[in-house]
Amino acid sequence: MYLTENDVRGIATYARIGLSDGEVAAMTVDLNNIIESLRPITEYDLEGVEPTFHPIAGLANVMREDAVRPGLAHQDAMAIAPHVESGAYRIPPILGDNGGDR
Amino acid sequence: MAISVADYRSLSARAIRDGIARADFSACEVAGAALAAIEAIDPRVHAFLEVTSKLAHEAAVRIDALRAKDQPLPALAGVPIGFKDNMNLLGTRTTCASRMLADYASPYTATCVGRSLAAGALPLGKLNMDEFAFGSSTETSCFGRTHNPWDLDRVPGGSSGGSAAAVAAGMATVSLGSDTGGSIRQPASFCGVVGFKPTYGVVSRYGVVAFGSSLDQVGPFGRSVADVATTLDAIAGRDPFDCTSQECATSFSAVLDAGVEGMRVGIIPAYLEAKGVEAEVVVALKGAMDRLERCGARLVEVELPNAKAALSAYYVIGPCEAFSNLSRFDSVRYGYRAPGARDLGDQYEKSRADGFGPEAVRRIMLGSYLLASGVYDTYYYPAQQVRTLITQDYHRAFEQVDALLAPVSPRTAFKFGELADPTAMYLSDIFTIPINIAGNGGMSLPVGRGEASGLPVGVQVIGPQFRDENIFRVAAALERCYPEIERLAPAVEGVEGGEA
Repeated sequence: MYLTENDVRGIATYARIGLSDGEVAAMTVDLNNIIESLRPITEYDLEGVEPTFHPIAGLANVMREDAVRPGLAHQDAMAIAPHVESGAYRIPPILGDNGGDR
Repeated sequence: MAISVADYRSLSARAIRDGIARADFSACEVAGAALAAIEAIDPRVHAFLEVTSKLAHEAAVRIDALRAKDQPLPALAGVPIGFKDNMNLLGTRTTCASRMLADYASPYTATCVGRSLAAGALPLGKLNMDEFAFGSSTETSCFGRTHNPWDLDRVPGGSSGGSAAAVAAGMATVSLGSDTGGSIRQPASFCGVVGFKPTYGVVSRYGVVAFGSSLDQVGPFGRSVADVATTLDAIAGRDPFDCTSQECATSFSAVLDAGVEGMRVGIIPAYLEAKGVEAEVVVALKGAMDRLERCGARLVEVELPNAKAALSAYYVIGPCEAFSNLSRFDSVRYGYRAPGARDLGDQYEKSRADGFGPEAVRRIMLGSYLLASGVYDTYYYPAQQVRTLITQDYHRAFEQVDALLAPVSPRTAFKFGELADPTAMYLSDIFTIPINIAGNGGMSLPVGRGEASGLPVGVQVIGPQFRDENIFRVAAALERCYPEIERLAPAVEGVEGGEA
């Protein structure tokens, strides 16, 4: 077993996903099974092997001139937000009940 | 003369364009036939999440105006196309089949979509998929599953299941999907159509919702290699909005008649004996090998010694990249926002828990764990080292051969719910995943029905990086060896109406 239910709660907090106790229990089983299936990766002799973070070697990034050009308009960006007020994103208090909206 | 729904469903992209050019029928009549086909067939298949009748008609009017003025018609003029619902198209929602994006209105149009439309294609709508492309069956869509048009009790494969099913059922002539670990090739195999994942960088990813940014690639589906080549020609090439996209001077349509005389095609003996591969898949692959040899190709045995490590490397790299990409869903700028949160942290947690389905949550959690300090060195870094070994395998293989022939999936389409265990589902991609890890192109080409299941089987043609034309040469030659192959799925035959 790689992860306890407590570990899974910690991961959920970090990933900003609220899980119920029942979901934590099921997720713990699933994650342990999946991590076990990843074991081959830990058993390879990889001494001296360079990592590849990008599949295509020897390519340069394609860059464009840093010129001012029209982008997504403010009103279009705001149009897809779930809660907008006075042209800005509206969010609940950051500091919880005591933080309040001031 | 109008075009009947039945005629429309069997026409190639080229035949549609030429038919409009000759004034055998108009683009508006083609749009009408396509929409009638969707109306008649899609209630049974559920490939579409949104049908864009108005956009299709507007595009058709523009093509008919060109025709009326005797102006040249672009390559996909009047060709009905559908888009996987992770691709933005202004005027549509882009849901990724997730509650998280159920009401997300595309703020702009993805480059691959825009280029298809600039080439004259008629946009039919947005196609079902596994939620955020996490899956191999389209069962994880929060808007309900898509049925395989060959057998409505079976999955179409995934994650681009809607894109494959829409083409197999004759509702769309071509479609676009995306492939992170097999999500174009496996559903193409399950639905008996041609599906192509290009070399990473051939098609822009701009405007396509990201899953695994070093693995994702967009590609076309069609009922023939030629239709797939024509569509790829329209969408390939450098895009200033995707710094990983590359110049592409090749015309894939131009190489289809070149034949395979003198080409060296690699076969991987270990793949023919791999555990869990169904006999009918091996029979189909051997049949394709024999035919290619008779066409003048030389078969060469090659080894991919590290291929078996690809699956575990993928299930490290994929979730890590997904975890990173899906962190943008913050319930503030766009996407689902849960009501009644007491503070911002609570809003994040509630919105992400309610907005993401179980498989998305599983992968986010897994990626979060694998990237944690201390764990990173055990899994993520070694996975990237394994990636080097796998890439080197392919480089070595392609010093000996011009293309590889392999299975697509170990089996044909399975029944709904048959692979309920997530790790069993992951195994269905063992032959497609290594190609994404290495960045090469791969195509699934239908070669008939499996002798045991009676369901479509595909073979995979793989090419060297940025030599995707090799794949088209081999696939086109092989396709000519199967003239008897059924292009339309039979389970939805006879349900369409008459004249459009």
